[in-house]
Amino acid sequence: MAVTTRTRKSARRRQLEAAINYPIDWLEERSGLIGGLRYFLFRKVPGDTNWFHTLGSATLTAFLVQALTGVILAMYYQPDATVNPATGTSAAYGSIQHITNDLTLGWLVRGMHKWGASVFIILLFFHMARVFLFGAYKYPRELNWIIGVTLLVFGMLEGFTGYLLPWDQTAYWATVVGINLNGTAPILGPFLADFLRGGAEIGGDTLSRFYSLHMLLLPGAIFALIGLHLYLVIRLGVTSPPWSREAAGTDWNEKPSENGRSGLTQPSGRSAWRRNGADT
Amino acid sequence: MATTDEWRRQHQRYKEDVKRRGKPFYPYAMFHDTVMSLVVVSVIIGLAAVWYYTSGEDPKTCGSGDSCLLGPRYSEPADPATTNFVPRPDWYFYFLFYLLRIFKWPDSVILGTVGIPTVMLIIAFALPFLDRRMERRLTRRPVAIVAAILVVISMGELTYKGAIAKEALASEVVQAVPSWAQRQGFANNAEAVAGAKIFASSGCTACHTYLGTGSSNQGAPDLSAEATRGKSKQQLMAYIRDPSQFGNNIMPKFGFSDQQLSQLAAFLLASKGPK
Ligand code: HEM
Repeated sequence: MAVTTRTRKSARRRQLEAAINYPIDWLEERSGLIGGLRYFLFRKVPGDTNWFHTLGSATLTAFLVQALTGVILAMYYQPDATVNPATGTSAAYGSIQHITNDLTLGWLVRGMHKWGASVFIILLFFHMARVFLFGAYKYPRELNWIIGVTLLVFGMLEGFTGYLLPWDQTAYWATVVGINLNGTAPILGPFLADFLRGGAEIGGDTLSRFYSLHMLLLPGAIFALIGLHLYLVIRLGVTSPPWSREAAGTDWNEKPSENGRSGLTQPSGRSAWRRNGADT
Repeated sequence: MATTDEWRRQHQRYKEDVKRRGKPFYPYAMFHDTVMSLVVVSVIIGLAAVWYYTSGEDPKTCGSGDSCLLGPRYSEPADPATTNFVPRPDWYFYFLFYLLRIFKWPDSVILGTVGIPTVMLIIAFALPFLDRRMERRLTRRPVAIVAAILVVISMGELTYKGAIAKEALASEVVQAVPSWAQRQGFANNAEAVAGAKIFASSGCTACHTYLGTGSSNQGAPDLSAEATRGKSKQQLMAYIRDPSQFGNNIMPKFGFSDQQLSQLAAFLLASKGPK
């Protein structure tokens, strides 16, 4: 009796497993995505990976917060500088007031977007500092550093274009100054300033132009670059902290440097022994 | 400087080391990443909450009714005409913004607006090709360390200066008009006094200084003795009407009426410098 229930139970379990596995296998067979995910999750990273290495994914999280809150804001925000005669303010400014003061949790969405921008920029700089201090921009990761600098520039441009959208005094005059500064650049400057303004004066055309750059072009480019960035991170692996006793890739058999200062951070002899010990 | 072969061997060693002694991304690194991301999201929510709950619907109540710890919800609606403004970018542009004050218009301002930022950006992009040594330990990278410290100190200093730089508010500047009139001796010249009021309330002092009021921003000159520069009233009016016609792409076109332009010019021509 006991035996029959056990076999029946395990038969049911087998059926259940097959039902769960079927869609997974189906997807894997047709796309290889499951294998990719498995590779991503279970790939080896250096054993001395530490909290400094979380700054990149923290930057990613901040960017995703911007993307998500931005999509919600775009449902209510109106990129329109036309003054509404009933209220005496522009549609853009009115929609910002409406989002902040009236909509359920609108303040949270706008507040997170507004402050998330600063957090994103700070994390970008921190992540860049960690890459610099670890010497992680060196071979073979040069390209990822260059993609990173591009991301930094695009991130700051997101800040510049987004700052205008509330169409308040701060926004307007910061942009007047910002665009005029672009205009001082030799040769290209005046063209750039004209392009950004969308005319001779800063007005409705500037607003819709900034809005389009802010929510289509720049975020699109940033998403694509992040994808490339992460692809390279996974392909090349992350750098061990340079001070680590077991930094991956260190040549422990390297001759101690001639000036005899090798013992300063890396007592010679012992580490060579370690590595050789691990090899045998 | 390492040869390409040395680099390749080094990376090969890296891959072998990671394979042998590394640990899987999940759950180890992923755990740290998740904790950090939760901290980031909490900080963002926290900032949003402090910002919202210390401010009110009316931007004017900041400082009186509301503490506005993190600033108002928005400032007053954009108004190209009143120009009662404090032009100030978001904080992460302060370093650029302050850089501009160091250079004087028009001779060297390009250094601040384009020159230095472009050079810094090129160095940033080119870094992996400028530093080609294999060494990664900080104690053995003195140049990198000194450069990093200098960059952090100068960016920090410029950001801080940009943050505390005080732009006089137009409402405060207008209070100074009677004292200007007295010190420059144009108190009896009604047109000049009217011009001084326009000058004080239109935000000119965000960039120009006048008898110690205002801030010299983006290299704009002091105007206390503009009359001594030998420009005619017509020339001054034409310049203020559209500065870009005269190669000045920084100063905005304010859209003054002919009467306002005439008053402003009268004010400038009455500004011969304090005795
Ligand atoms: C949207 C912006 C960015 C995102 C989402 C991002 C994300 C990441 C992530 C998740 C990693 C894995 C290791 C780690 O977290 O430290 C990484 C590594 C890296 N990042 Fe970024 N990053 C961004 C911007 C930048 C910037 C501004 C730079 C430098 C200018 C940069 C240069 C690098 C380099 C060279 C690596 C490889 C580091 C190593 O091998 O140790 N990234 N990035």
